[in-house]
This record gives sequence, C-alpha cells and structure tokens, in this order.
Amino acid sequence: MTTRRLSAFLDALAAGRRPRPFHADPEDVEMLRVAIALRAARPGDAMPDENFVAELHKQLAEDLSPSEPTNVRPLKMRRSRAALVAVAAGLALVGGTAAVSEIANTTTVQQSTTAVPQGQALRTASFQSPTGQVVGQIVLYHGHTSWVYMNVDLPHSNGPVKCELHLANGEVVAAGTVQLHDGSGEFSQRIHMDAGGARGATLYDSSGAVVASAIFI
Amino acid sequence: MPSDPPKTSGERGVTHLRVVDTDSYTDWESVYRDNVERLYRLMYARVGNRADAEDLTSEVFRTALGPLRLASSKGEVRSYLLTTAQTVLASHWRRTLGAPVTTIDPESAMASLAEPSGTEEPSDAPQRARKILAALPERYRRILELRFLEACSIKEAAQAMGVSVSNAKVLQHRALRMAAKAGLEVGQ
Repeated sequence: MTTRRLSAFLDALAAGRRPRPFHADPEDVEMLRVAIALRAARPGDAMPDENFVAELHKQLAEDLSPSEPTNVRPLKMRRSRAALVAVAAGLALVGGTAAVSEIANTTTVQQSTTAVPQGQALRTASFQSPTGQVVGQIVLYHGHTSWVYMNVDLPHSNGPVKCELHLANGEVVAAGTVQLHDGSGEFSQRIHMDAGGARGATLYDSSGAVVASAIFI
Repeated sequence: MPSDPPKTSGERGVTHLRVVDTDSYTDWESVYRDNVERLYRLMYARVGNRADAEDLTSEVFRTALGPLRLASSKGEVRSYLLTTAQTVLASHWRRTLGAPVTTIDPESAMASLAEPSGTEEPSDAPQRARKILAALPERYRRILELRFLEACSIKEAAQAMGVSVSNAKVLQHRALRMAAKAGLEVGQ
C-alpha cells in the first residue's frame, strides 16, 4: 500500500535513515520532493563526514592504482548499467566528439586505457545530432548474451526513433526502437549479433530522417 | 551539454556567458579533493539523507575518474562530474521510487560546484525550506518543522503539538500535499 510505504519513507527521511524503495505515484513524488527539500535544510547535515571522505579516497586509490590491478574494486551489479551510461555521458563532455570507451566486465569499471579482455566487453558511444549536440548514449555489451542499451534526449520530439547498428563488415542491423515521450526515451534489449563488430549507430525518426549518430572507435 | 548555445536573456541581444575555470587538475586526487565536498552537498540536497548521498557521491567518482582526461580544464572536469551526477541521480530514483523525484539542473549546479569548498551554507536549501513553510498554515508548518527540521519522531511531534499520533500523521500528510500543490519550486 502506497500510503504506508510513503509514511515509512517519510519516517526514515525524518530520522536520517536510508529510506526503503517503493513504487511512488505522482502525488507521492510531489510530497517526497517537499519532504526532501525540508530535510536537506536541516542545519549541519549537509557536510560530508570526514571518515566517508577519507574512506572513499582510499577506495578510489585502490581502484585507480595501475600497479595493483588485482585490487580494482567491483561496483555492485545494480549500479553497473547506470554507471556505464554516466561514463558515456561524461566522455562526451571530456572527450569532445564521438567519445567512446571500452570497459571490461559489467561488474568492474576500469580506466579506459586498460586493455579489453576478449569475450566479454562493454562499448559505449554518444549520439550526436547533425548540429553536433550530444543527444544520448548507447551501450553495447557483447559476451555470452549480448544486449544494447540507449537513452535519447531530443527536445520537442515524440514518438518512435529507430536505431540501426553499422557493422565492420558493412552490414546494417536493426537494434530496436526508442519511444520518445516529451523528448526523452530509453530502452534495452538483447541482440543476436556480435556487438564487438559494431562500428557505429544511427537514429532515424518516423519519416526516415537521420536525427543522430554515434561512432564506436 | 557542452554544445548547448549560451542562454539568452529576455533583453534583446544580451547573452550571458558562464565563466569557465581554465586551470587544470594535476592528478585524480586533486580532482577528488576539490570536488568531493561539493558533490556530496549536491547529492545530499537532492536525496535528504546521508547514506544515499554518500553512495551516490561514491558512484559519481567511481564512474567518472577512470576515463577522466586530466588535460581538460577544471571547468570541463566539473561539467563532466556534473553530467555523471545527473545520470547517477536519475538512475537512483528510477531504481528506488520509479520516478525522478529530484533532478540536477546543470546551470545552477555548475554555479554551486564552482563555489569554494568549506562554505557552511552553500546551497539554497534553507531559503527553499523557508519558502515552503511560509506558504502553509501554522499547524501544517509546525508539524513539518518538527519532523524534518527538528528530527522529531511522529510520536514526539504529536506530543509537542498535543495531538494523537494518528492526527500527527494526517497533519503531516496534508501539510506535504498542500505544499506540493502550492507548486513551489522545490525539486532542484
């Protein structure tokens, strides 16, 4: 029941505990937004704990140390996909056009310069519009099973946007259709192909016009 | 996004450009030291609890630092961290409540990231809280103050207001609903 779970969420928030997840309806969301805004204003709580800052520094040092590759700490599984999308988004900013990364193993984020082991790998690229704006990201996973994930943000657009993958051998493969609502959409699905052979991706609107493209280097 | 055109004000021909810090970081540790507090505060203001704010801050750094190019300017690095934070926060809400309860606005968040670390009240959270509370009748305002600003349990809040626990819960619910319906801009 939403009301009871909403109350439990509010109780946790007021007490400074981690609230438990539940499926919130739109009215819940509005109320939670207010509660969070109030809770965030409580004096003294907005600064990070010194132990947290020190511990995270230590963990990152282990993660990023090139001399100790065996100490790379795995991310929790539930975070891995979001993390990869964030990598793609970030790379688009730092790397400029056609930012790309290959990251080995879904449970571990490593430096982009790390060699990619054969077999299982993730590849990410940013979609760019014809005018050069970054309008989304695409993530390909190729391993025992392969899947594609993408998110697209095209303001003022609605409806289906079709994605095609361009393979190194010249083939073009349909990767799925993103439904845009208020300009945004995302989807993921399994694909039956060697994702490692993908060289690029193109998005088309319902009229067949190219709205964005991405290049895997 | 980096390629977005600069925002233009209502005044014709006036364009506001953001000042970009062109200095660079020397190593990942300087990136971390300079931004960990700011990012934590950013996340805390959007989730309202320490545990989630710490998790999300960790996730931003774990995700961002690996592929980071140190040759980029500080401004670009902060934009990169901010974009990562946006995605991490959106994913958090999708995972926990199925809806984007709060978001990160790149323009205003960029300004807060550029503020010096160590400022005691860097965010506009107190101001937003005052605005919310000012829009409510006395009893609604009091129950929300007790619960979210003074950290009272529902039982303690009920005692302080001289009502039953059930009544306190109803008051809290109605107060939050009224504040939400007032359409106050509290999401950022």
